[in-house]
Amino acid sequence: MSINLWSLKSGDRCEILGYDATLDEKYRIRLLEFGFHPGESVSCLQSLAFGAPKVYRVSNTVFSLDDEVASHVLVRITNAHE
Amino acid sequence: MSKVLLIGSPNSGKSLLFNRLTGLHHKVANFPGITVDVSTGQLQQLPGMELIDFPGTYSLQAISADERVAVDYFERSLDDPEVSHVLCVVDATRLEKSLYFTLQVIRESARHGKPVTVLANMMDVLESHKLTLDIAQLADALQAPVIGVSGRSGKGLPEVVGALKGERVLPESWVGTDSLEATDEQLRITAHKLAQRFGTRGDVLIRNQTRLDGIFLHSMLGGFAFFFIMYLLFQSIFTWAAPLMDAVEMSLGVLANWVLPLIGNQTAKDFTADALFGGIGAFLVFVPQIFILTFVIGLLEDSGYMARAALICHKPLRFFGLTGKSFIPMLSGVACAIPAIYAARAIDSPRKRILTYMAIPLMPCSARLPVYTLLIAAFIPATTGLGGLVGWQGLAMFAIYFFGMFCGLLVTALVSRTSKDQHNDLPFVLELPPYRLPSLKPLLRTCWNRSKHFVTKAGKIIFAVTVGVWVLGYFPNYGADLGTSWLGYLGHLIEPLFAPLGLDWRYGVAILSSFLAREVFVGTLGTIFGIESAEEHMEPLVQQIQNSDMALGSGIALLVFFAIALQCVSTLAILSKESGSTSLAVKMFVGYFLFAYAAAVAVYQFTGLFT
Repeated sequence: MSINLWSLKSGDRCEILGYDATLDEKYRIRLLEFGFHPGESVSCLQSLAFGAPKVYRVSNTVFSLDDEVASHVLVRITNAHE
Repeated sequence: MSKVLLIGSPNSGKSLLFNRLTGLHHKVANFPGITVDVSTGQLQQLPGMELIDFPGTYSLQAISADERVAVDYFERSLDDPEVSHVLCVVDATRLEKSLYFTLQVIRESARHGKPVTVLANMMDVLESHKLTLDIAQLADALQAPVIGVSGRSGKGLPEVVGALKGERVLPESWVGTDSLEATDEQLRITAHKLAQRFGTRGDVLIRNQTRLDGIFLHSMLGGFAFFFIMYLLFQSIFTWAAPLMDAVEMSLGVLANWVLPLIGNQTAKDFTADALFGGIGAFLVFVPQIFILTFVIGLLEDSGYMARAALICHKPLRFFGLTGKSFIPMLSGVACAIPAIYAARAIDSPRKRILTYMAIPLMPCSARLPVYTLLIAAFIPATTGLGGLVGWQGLAMFAIYFFGMFCGLLVTALVSRTSKDQHNDLPFVLELPPYRLPSLKPLLRTCWNRSKHFVTKAGKIIFAVTVGVWVLGYFPNYGADLGTSWLGYLGHLIEPLFAPLGLDWRYGVAILSSFLAREVFVGTLGTIFGIESAEEHMEPLVQQIQNSDMALGSGIALLVFFAIALQCVSTLAILSKESGSTSLAVKMFVGYFLFAYAAAVAVYQFTGLFT
């Protein structure tokens, strides 16, 4: 089932499926530059309180994305946090 | 002179390599209006060869105005016949982030016939974790020479110098191959495959980072750490800079005492004392604050904490159209708007940076404190209420401080909602770099460059305005009486403007002169009331104001006026230089004056209903 990156909780892992059509082109470019490629594995390292940007890991780089961006990245959970 | 271009993505350790190769002997050029710096310096080992350090960028596909300028400059430089070589820095520990950009640089350089050498930086970090990078295979895949280096230890730099000394020819495989025509999309796919092939596996490299993030981003511990670090930052510009600022003032005082007796002509003497020393002192006094704040912010940036602080503050500030990166400049603005405007350079989104510029002058800076102290002492009773729990003067000071902050956030919230300039905005996609120990020498160099920029760029404007105001206040009666000077005449002329606030010409003159700096209001008012050194001993001036039967509403109106109005030529000068837009500085000055005036009139008229 496809959900978005923002809905991940700390410890969740997912595979990127793509981006939704409403995501601004320049945001998509920046995400691809950062390694958020379709097929790439991403893990959520921190999901902070009060809706603060979440912390994600792609390969060996750590990024913080807010909901304006992360909610447009479509993912499939591969290893939910238990 | 032969030139070498040095380019790399942010956090790739490029600046440290640049400093190693040039030995810190370099100059920094700013592009007007944007935060991009280009440093140039002679290579230590190769005199006659100049190294040009480009700002870090994630790709050659610019998505903001700042990036466009940097990318255009790089592409123009490739056309320069003096450019003989391009050095492209990648972070060997995080190849996936750098390879797309590297392939773009190789393609563009090859199109212009410039050879590229890839510097795989941070090899020391890889080695410390017993990891390796197959340099030969990577060079083969990139079709460009790759040298493993360490900016921190200097490892591999002799090989870099050797590569620059050698004959510079393009590899055969780049000439006339399809690679020259590869699209960005094709390069992105290639980079992704290369990163998977050469990138390090496992979490060994980010284990420490994850552990420290567990503390600094923890909901409780992270909050404490944040407040403690912000407290230190605030102390640095408010308390630690104070002795240095006093030293600057004292040195100028000593110099003035030495020079002034040598001048015979009274007008020349007055000009030297008030305009020359006053004018120079007006901007030199800010240098310690700029230096110290740049140093502390540099420590935060280089250590990796700045990105974490931005993350913590982002959500509440986003509501007001700002970003998490706006917090530190705004906090700095509570001490002084000038270093705060410099601090806003860290904001990568041009739109959010402009909005932060708008909020900074409304932060209750320390120059407002003497004005608030005088007006509160004159108009608010020094009594307590609620059984001694609340002192009215303290409450008034608290209220006026927060009123300024509230107005700043109100302005950015309104402007961000009414002006939808998405073209210059950037998403909140923030790289959280590894925690590192900052390198002090390059940091001190940055502090020096920033201070020099202020003195050379803003100093001229501040000095010119100071001289202008001095001339208006000194002539035609040669400083005998401020009331009958041209400034006094202007004060009488604009008296009707301040009448709706219940103020007479004397306050008009004090407001006019406070354009130099807000605290000048107190000194000017003291001069008009015939009180010496009113800035240091306010009590006689407070009594004079109380005896002048001025209404309480006028006092509160003045407080409100000073909380909002952008009465500071130094702020306007640096705003104009940093934003690259004199028009923005003028619009903000006029806009905040009108806002301040309207709010002050409203307060006076409203309080008039009850008194």
